[in-house]
Amino acid sequence: MNAGGNFPFLLGLAAFLFSVGALGVLIRRNPIVVFMCIELMLNAVNIVFVSYGRFLNSEEGQVFAFMVIVVAAAEVVVGLALITQVFRLGRELDVDDLDEMRE
Amino acid sequence: MSVIIWIAGVLAAVSALGVVFSPQPLYSALSLVLAIGALAVIFLALNAQFLFVVQLIVYAGAVMVLFVFIIALLSPGADEQVRIDSRFVVGAVMAMGITVAMVVAARNGITINGNGVFRAQQIGQASDPYHAFSFDQSDLGLVNTAGNVQTVGGQLFTTFLLPFEITSLLLLVAAVGAVYLTRRGRSHTEPILRERAQARRPAPTLEEDRIEVEVG
Repeated sequence: MNAGGNFPFLLGLAAFLFSVGALGVLIRRNPIVVFMCIELMLNAVNIVFVSYGRFLNSEEGQVFAFMVIVVAAAEVVVGLALITQVFRLGRELDVDDLDEMRE
Repeated sequence: MSVIIWIAGVLAAVSALGVVFSPQPLYSALSLVLAIGALAVIFLALNAQFLFVVQLIVYAGAVMVLFVFIIALLSPGADEQVRIDSRFVVGAVMAMGITVAMVVAARNGITINGNGVFRAQQIGQASDPYHAFSFDQSDLGLVNTAGNVQTVGGQLFTTFLLPFEITSLLLLVAAVGAVYLTRRGRSHTEPILRERAQARRPAPTLEEDRIEVEVG
C-alpha cells in the first residue's frame, strides 16, 4: 500500500479547506454560517494532524485531532448559546451589527 | 486506497465550497455534513478508526444536529446572497494568501531559529523524514496496523492523561456556560440591552413583524 503518494494531496486538501473556511468567515454575515466555516477550518487542521501522524508513524496526531474535536464541540455549544441570546434580544443575525460587547 | 482518498477529498472540497456559497444556512449545514462525512472516510483510509467513529458521532451526530436545531429554532429566513463587493475581494485575497503561505511552508519546511522567530527553510534532503513530501514508508509502526484504537487509547490514558482530564473540565465549563447563557430571568441586564437594541432600530411596522399566523 503506497499511501505516501497521498500525502501532498492531503496537505493540499487541508490547505484548500482551511482557505475556504477562512474565506467564509471573512465574507459571510450570518453568524451561524460563520461558525460552520470555523468548523471547516478545524477539520482541515485535523486532516493535517492525522496524515502527519500516519506518515510519521506516530499516534500523537490522532490524539491531538481528538483534542481538536472536543474543543470544537465546546466552542459550538457556547457560540450557539450566544447566538440564541442575541436572537432573543430581537436583533438581526448579522455579524456586523454585533458590537454590544464593545460598549 | 488512494482512489478512496481522492474521491473523498474532492467531495469534501466541493461541499466546502457549498458551505460558503449557499444562500440558505440550512444548505450550508447539509453541505457541512457531507464534508464531515467525506473527511471521516479519509480518516478511515488513513487508518484512524477511532477518529472516524468520533468524527461521525461528535460532528455529524451531535454538532450538526445542534446547528440544524438552532437554524430551525431561529429560522434566519433572509437569504443572504454572496455579493461580489470589496469585502469579498479582501476575503478572497486573504484566503489565497493563506493557501499560498501554507503550500510554501509545507513545501519548504518551517523551523524556528534561535530568536524564536518562525522562518521558512529549505530542508531539501529527500530522505529527511520531516520533509513534507518525502516519507520513508519502509517502517510502519504500531499506529499503522489495522485497528489501532487500542494504541491511541493507550496514549490518551498514559502520555496525554493530564490534557485528557483538562478536556473533561473544558466540556464541563462549556456545558455550565451554555446553561448560564441561555437561561431566562437575568432581569437586571436584559431590559437595558433590549432598550438599547430597540433604540437603535426603528420599531417594526406591521408588515415587518415576525409573528405570522397560518390559518387552516
